Amino acid sequence: MKYTPRSLIAEITHRCPLHCVYCSNPLELQRRSAELPTENWISIFQQAAELGVLQLHLTGGEPLSRSDLTELVRAGRKAHLYLNLITSGVGLDGSRLDQLIEAGLDHIQLSFQDTEEGSANEFAGTRSHALKLRVAEAIRERRIAFTINMVVHRRNVERLGEMLAFAEHSGAQRLEIAHVQYYGWAFRNRDALLPTREQLDRSVEIVEAARERLKGRLRIDFVLPDYYAKYPKPCMNGWGHQQMLIDPAGRVLPCHAASVIPGLEFSSARERPLRWIWEESPAFNRFRDESWMPEPCRSCDRRTRDFGGCRCQAFLLAGDAAATDPVCTLAPTHFIVEETLQRVNGSSGRSWVYRNDPT
Amino acid sequence: MSELAPDSVLRLAPGCRLNAAGESEDLLLIPEGALRLKGPARAIVELCDGQRAMREVAEELKRRYSSADGVRIETEVAALLARLRDRGVLEAV
Repeated sequence: MKYTPRSLIAEITHRCPLHCVYCSNPLELQRRSAELPTENWISIFQQAAELGVLQLHLTGGEPLSRSDLTELVRAGRKAHLYLNLITSGVGLDGSRLDQLIEAGLDHIQLSFQDTEEGSANEFAGTRSHALKLRVAEAIRERRIAFTINMVVHRRNVERLGEMLAFAEHSGAQRLEIAHVQYYGWAFRNRDALLPTREQLDRSVEIVEAARERLKGRLRIDFVLPDYYAKYPKPCMNGWGHQQMLIDPAGRVLPCHAASVIPGLEFSSARERPLRWIWEESPAFNRFRDESWMPEPCRSCDRRTRDFGGCRCQAFLLAGDAAATDPVCTLAPTHFIVEETLQRVNGSSGRSWVYRNDPT
Repeated sequence: MSELAPDSVLRLAPGCRLNAAGESEDLLLIPEGALRLKGPARAIVELCDGQRAMREVAEELKRRYSSADGVRIETEVAALLARLRDRGVLEAV
């Protein structure tokens, strides 16, 4: 096998106390009754490590919603995986944090919706900001790697300076500033969330200046909204090249959004060995090499760098997962993105829709 | 970033650790992925135990590789450790 999976994103539940307007989970959430039991996850972690996976990202929904989280962390460490928890912090206190660290948790990534409490709670659709601040304090007091994740969009990007100052004094070693990516629920609210060109350019300037100022003290990762890019992002570093994601029910996917693509059958880790799914399953091989590529990708020098962009985005925007990613300025369907940007840049803002929790 | 002094004592920062010994490749696992360690780099990182000063790390390496050029070992140890410190992988005690 030419490709070795290096990270496994385990969406251990879709339950979540937050209702973020830019939630990246699929529109169809898995119910609690469909969730994999502890022993299936433990087997998955062992199989993943045997395949070459190094990093295990426990996410959701809110992974703390599962009462067996500490047991899952312990099992992941036992399988020699690096344990990363991606969390809203809701459900975390000092004693649970101590248990997770004792079980072998390596790194916590804590999300914030804003630095301004009213807005943060509005974007999250729940009152969680004050609690997150207490969680950040508890993490700072312990010896564990700490990343703050800030999702930015049209309605909060003006406070980027405050967000950077907050992260600088939070005790975190890393800050991830991610412009919303338009998948899942975020796609539904896209026109309310996409920043204007002016906002985007300003955010780049602010982050560049902060990187220089905070060098050696705070690492900053910055994710841009690809709608404004000239060329597409190398999504997941290639379909089925390095990463896999398992949803709460055990379906194995190349990424968090792939379930939108019609005609692909994603196998379950309940029914098939992970190795077969990674190496042999038709879904993982569908866009793995270059044989699916249309023009202009097929003859493009960039195809080995960006792999034609994102298959899910091609489906969401152009209605064809095997099309060139429409964000690419060379794509015949690029006008779809241009129209969206014109609409967004010409409007004074729209309202959004909140999502409900799975039962 | 400033150079490290010979008496700097370093250790792995939280969230940074070596993969299990004896795997097919030597890796330093960090929050955002993994760094591949080549040649004696793994041994050098292992010696940064929060007790030894950088000078002692280099001395130990010279003892292990007695046929190699001692000055070169000192230079390379200092360069590797400064790089990992700047990357946030090693921290001063």
